[in-house]
Amino acid sequence: MDFLKTMSIAASGLRAQAGRMRIISENIANADSTPSGSGANPYRRKVATFTSEFNRALEARTVELGKVQTDTSDFRVKYEPGHPSADGKGNVKYPNVNPLVEMTDMRDAQRSYEANINVISATRRMIQRTIDILKA
Amino acid sequence: MAITDIPILSMLRTRLEWAQDRQRVLAENVANSDTPKYRARDLAQPKFEDPTQITTAAVSTVSLTRTESGHIAGAGVSGSAFRIESKGNYEVRPTGNAVSLEDEMMKVAANQMDFQAATAVYTRSLNLLKIALGKR
Repeated sequence: MDFLKTMSIAASGLRAQAGRMRIISENIANADSTPSGSGANPYRRKVATFTSEFNRALEARTVELGKVQTDTSDFRVKYEPGHPSADGKGNVKYPNVNPLVEMTDMRDAQRSYEANINVISATRRMIQRTIDILKA
Repeated sequence: MAITDIPILSMLRTRLEWAQDRQRVLAENVANSDTPKYRARDLAQPKFEDPTQITTAAVSTVSLTRTESGHIAGAGVSGSAFRIESKGNYEVRPTGNAVSLEDEMMKVAANQMDFQAATAVYTRSLNLLKIALGKR
């Protein structure tokens, strides 16, 4: 049935957005993780990617969460000489996570998730209308 | 003559199938709303110039021929009997994605209303047949 395929496509969108949420939450949780030792690198920000692939069973292009990439931008450096992870000059590297960017990214994921939910509920109502023909 | 050969019913059936296929295409668009380089697509409206000629079989689909009966049937290039068109969007994001979620939500809602209207008329048409049979 075609409507069930429609729901599966929307579900692939939900899965991808949920995966993106997971990565965003990982970034936010690790926003202040300090390196394990002196001179070591702290947590590096992760970036979710999406790829569109042709699903043969559904005969449609569903979305998949692609390879998780890392953000290559510089780490935040703070001068904290007493910190256990400080290097020789007293600098501590903090993750390259900007909470503001993560928040806006999260809103974007939420919006896309809701759009997919909306498609599913619209499709469900359409199925219901088809069943109603029988009741007439 | 089967009951579905009655012109009004077969026209409505084409309309319903169109709405069903369109819902699938719209779900693809929404699911891929964050995929780079993805362009939104839509289905062309079915044409009803000659109501007596409306059957979905008249619109042929392209499918792969099997040379051996044991082979698995391949999916066609396009699973839909209706023409898929991709219109130029006014908004293309830096990632090359041209899906406007607001637009798609409007289309999903409009499509659902189209479907409801068609099912309502279908129910009424069936009631006409019942009246002719003297059941009410």
